[in-house]
Amino acid sequence: MATYVARRLIQAVVVLLAVSLICFCIFRYLGDPVISMAGLYATFQEREEVRRVFGLDKPTYVQYGLFVWNAAHGNFGKSFVSRVPALPLILERFPATFELATCAVCIAFVVGVGLGVLVSLRPYSAKSRLIMAASLGGISIPTFLTGILLIMVFSVMVGILPSYGRGNTIQLGFWRTGLLTLDGIKHLILPACTLASYQLAVLLRLTRAGMREVLAEEYIKTAWAKGLPPRKVIFKHALRNVMIPVVTITGLQFGELLAFSIVTETIYQWPGMGNLLLTSIYENDQPVIVTYIMLASLIIITLNTIVDILYAILNPKIRYD
Amino acid sequence: MTERRIKSRMLSSFLHDPSALLGSVILVIFLMATLLAPLITPQDPYDLKKLTLESFLKPPLWMEGGQAPFLLGTDDQGRDILSTIIYGCRTSLIVGFGVVVLAGTFGVAIGLLAGYYGKWLDTVTMRLADTFFSFSTTLLAFLLLGIFKHGGILVVILAICIADWVRYARTMRGSVLQVKEEAYVMAAKATGAGDLRLLLRHILPNAIPPIFVIVAVDLAVVIMLEATLSFLGVGVPVTEPSLGMMIAIGKNYVYAGKWWMIVFPGGALVFLVVGINLFADWLREELNPKIERRG
Amino acid sequence: MKKLLFLLLFGLLTVALVGYTMAAAPTSIIVAQDDSPAMMNPYGDDSDANLQYMANFFDGLVQRKGADGTLAPALAEKWERVDALTWKFYLRKNVKFHNGNPFTAEDVKFSFERTANPEVSQFVNFGKSLESVQVVDDYTVVVKTKTPIPWFVNNMHQLFIMDKESTEKRDAGDVMVKPIGTGAYKLEEWVKGSYVKMVANEDYWEGAPLIKKVEIRPISESSTRFAALASGQVDMLTGVPLELYDQVVADKKLEVVTRPARRSIFLVMGSKPGSPLADVRVRKAMYMAINEDEIIEKLMRGHAKPAAQIPDPPTVGYNGELKRLPYDPEGAKKLLKEAGYEKGFTVTLTGPTDRYIMDKQICEAAAKYLAKVGIEVKLDLKPKAIFFPEVGQGKLEMYLLGWFDGTYDMGRTYAKLVHSRDLDKGYGELNGAFFSDAGIDKVIESTATMLDLKERTKTLQQLNKTAMVDQIYCIPLHYQVDIYALQKAKAINFKPRPDRWMVYKEISFAK
Repeated sequence: MATYVARRLIQAVVVLLAVSLICFCIFRYLGDPVISMAGLYATFQEREEVRRVFGLDKPTYVQYGLFVWNAAHGNFGKSFVSRVPALPLILERFPATFELATCAVCIAFVVGVGLGVLVSLRPYSAKSRLIMAASLGGISIPTFLTGILLIMVFSVMVGILPSYGRGNTIQLGFWRTGLLTLDGIKHLILPACTLASYQLAVLLRLTRAGMREVLAEEYIKTAWAKGLPPRKVIFKHALRNVMIPVVTITGLQFGELLAFSIVTETIYQWPGMGNLLLTSIYENDQPVIVTYIMLASLIIITLNTIVDILYAILNPKIRYD
Repeated sequence: MTERRIKSRMLSSFLHDPSALLGSVILVIFLMATLLAPLITPQDPYDLKKLTLESFLKPPLWMEGGQAPFLLGTDDQGRDILSTIIYGCRTSLIVGFGVVVLAGTFGVAIGLLAGYYGKWLDTVTMRLADTFFSFSTTLLAFLLLGIFKHGGILVVILAICIADWVRYARTMRGSVLQVKEEAYVMAAKATGAGDLRLLLRHILPNAIPPIFVIVAVDLAVVIMLEATLSFLGVGVPVTEPSLGMMIAIGKNYVYAGKWWMIVFPGGALVFLVVGINLFADWLREELNPKIERRG
Repeated sequence: MKKLLFLLLFGLLTVALVGYTMAAAPTSIIVAQDDSPAMMNPYGDDSDANLQYMANFFDGLVQRKGADGTLAPALAEKWERVDALTWKFYLRKNVKFHNGNPFTAEDVKFSFERTANPEVSQFVNFGKSLESVQVVDDYTVVVKTKTPIPWFVNNMHQLFIMDKESTEKRDAGDVMVKPIGTGAYKLEEWVKGSYVKMVANEDYWEGAPLIKKVEIRPISESSTRFAALASGQVDMLTGVPLELYDQVVADKKLEVVTRPARRSIFLVMGSKPGSPLADVRVRKAMYMAINEDEIIEKLMRGHAKPAAQIPDPPTVGYNGELKRLPYDPEGAKKLLKEAGYEKGFTVTLTGPTDRYIMDKQICEAAAKYLAKVGIEVKLDLKPKAIFFPEVGQGKLEMYLLGWFDGTYDMGRTYAKLVHSRDLDKGYGELNGAFFSDAGIDKVIESTATMLDLKERTKTLQQLNKTAMVDQIYCIPLHYQVDIYALQKAKAINFKPRPDRWMVYKEISFAK
């Protein structure tokens, strides 16, 4: 067991280093940030001095070494655009993205799994077919289109929900939350629904498919035959077995969630990490982009490693892989 | 069951399933439209010589202010919406098939080798696959294209492939692991068949059916991904037609009441993807032995 | 009884909530601007987008006032040019920074020297041009420049004075987010990506501003910005998108304010020897092939003035005699044939997609017009963060650019844009397409030391004519128009500035 955990941890570190190296190499050879940093009226000499001051003239391996050393201490350099340290710049937007993503996941999970269970009970009723047809639409509409359509309907035509920003937020220590004001919650509705829509449809279909398989199993038929009440059968037996793959997939979809939150945040001008990433890409703000990639990698790899180790604890067979 | 019986059973099931038929019909319409694009479109939206600014922002033909031959209206550069949609679908399908073929071939090959030879090849490739998979195709493609901006359709295809091969590799590997223990494979081995022959003649054809489902699903996913990337401005270059980019342009005109610039391209995109998904759903049902079938 | 109390409380809460979400009270204003502040360090960003925020929190030695942008005293009451290299400033007395510190000459010396430090400043060009800053007494400063700079004071309105004591004491991060200046407004709260809240400085030396509270909501997405105004969430809007202009006019609750901008938009052509563009006739033909009237009418919705040159009327060097070449595709084709390019040629047009109004669409339209005379245009459109560095590298063939010079003097513009690239001498850094003419170069260099205004004006006007008519350095297109929208009900008294800055001490309510 210990060796398994150690191996996974080493693999995680290797991957992180590889990601950092790739990022670094890419940015080293892509474009010259000095021109935008020194201002539009700077002369050639002035630009070279900027290059020196920011250490952009040292050899590549020295710069990389410095980069890794600094990164390990939480120093990812300063944003080219706003001249403040990159990591705090991203982290201060974390609460916004976190609240949005968490709400979306909750909506997707509760509604998706709930409807999935309902549908699998009566798979051929009219309501079920309608829901399944809707779910097919749900996985066929890309997130950005959902967002635009929701804005068109609820904000432009009917005008009851706001379409940009977080509204009034309250600062609790270092966490700025929008959940404690009515205005903040109103601003959360459309973006959360947009972000949730695709996942919801996927979870719905997944749950239904899983339930169908499980409900056809022998032990379920036995339970029916024994005369157990339907609720017990579904929740105690069937659902529990379906949950394992469902939860696993939801957990591993963090990368998807991050990616789609970028789209959602852009459409709704939600001041989160994804929005910052997109503007940084447009403005070629390398430190911020690299920091984002490192942060995302760290979270994803950590999540994966934890899931793997948990699996190994639950299922002894894997340990001896 | 013999191969012929399987095929004929599938065919009859296909012809009797309304949603599968619907999906395929939609697909065929789109394919024909994009292949025949130069012949059927009233206007080549990217031929600079023929465009004029005079016909910009015209609404669809049946509304007041509409102008022939612009059936669905024009955008802010005078491009006919219908023509741009058809050419945009062409881009979507090129990217979609491009990724599926490239990533599919690569992924299947990797999966085949990893599943068959096992040991360190298997461990290394699967760990690599896990890592790529955890980042998710969307995020990886977005980051890659955000860094290497405006490179053309080929760059977009490659960027998506870099993450997408994983689903093919994984599925293929799982399938190969099952198939290689089957009796006929053992038998072929016993009669002295070489590795290459075994792989290509026996294992590959029998392990490949699950990949067909993956292909169908992936096509839908990639098409939506291309639209998303183009919408955000990191997809195909601005000089290539793309449904995502049309919607990005149209978004600015929504408040001005010029809804046709979003609704038609959006509708086309959804239709195309729904068609593919219908077909994929049917395929998945067909190839899955566990579900109880009704009728 | 309890129920009644509860109901009352609930009612009050609702009223409070409703009142809170309604638009602001008459001494405050909520504005949706299209640019957000990058930082509160006044030197860190030299773009107008950031400088306009700084203009509210800080003052410079001079300022440009309101509707015509004339240079006026600010923290300096008087100034004079002592000799070609020396300038003397007499500072205003009894001015305090927001933290109570008095404003003295030490702060001016500190601020100017700070601009030379690339770690905190993008105004390195200014800082390095200074030979010395001498504090004569608490309210007198003498500045010596290394070389004569005729326009030295003209853009000092962009250089804001910081408080020496607190800036040195605070750490760099704090300086980036909390501005301490002498300006008309103090920063109340800045939530990045959401809003900036300012509150009036009652002790402001020019008199406390009339609007007591300002909330700025930066919304970069134009249709979202418009929605904020249309739904009544904000009182005023900058940068009304052209495609929504008709909506704004049609909305009875809204009022539109427009102002011709200083910025002119033009297409720069290189003259690289060996390329088709090296021939003046070819450049002239391309000029004649562009239908600018249609661009103004269709793309700019009539909100642009045709331009025949780069500088605008108030700028030294503006030549009122220059006229646009008329649209003449047939004439263009004839010229091309004469130059030997009857079959046309290929050229790459590079342009930004997110910098100027309709920049992408203008490039696309230009490509269309050139195609009609046989020139095949390859469009290379990219975000401004990639585009401008490419201009700085000088390897382009043809590109779109917009420009106005904050010094109101064409000399600096031409030195950066039109002079051949000579990076050691500091010329042509923004000459992106290898345009080079020895005659023009000589004239530009001669004006660098010309301090007499009459002489400068004559020379620059002549230079302008040479560049535009004889050499056709670029195809001038139009001057942009700045469009703002206001809620009529708020009765806001607003006159747009030529530099498009939002300086809130200049805005008031009519009631």
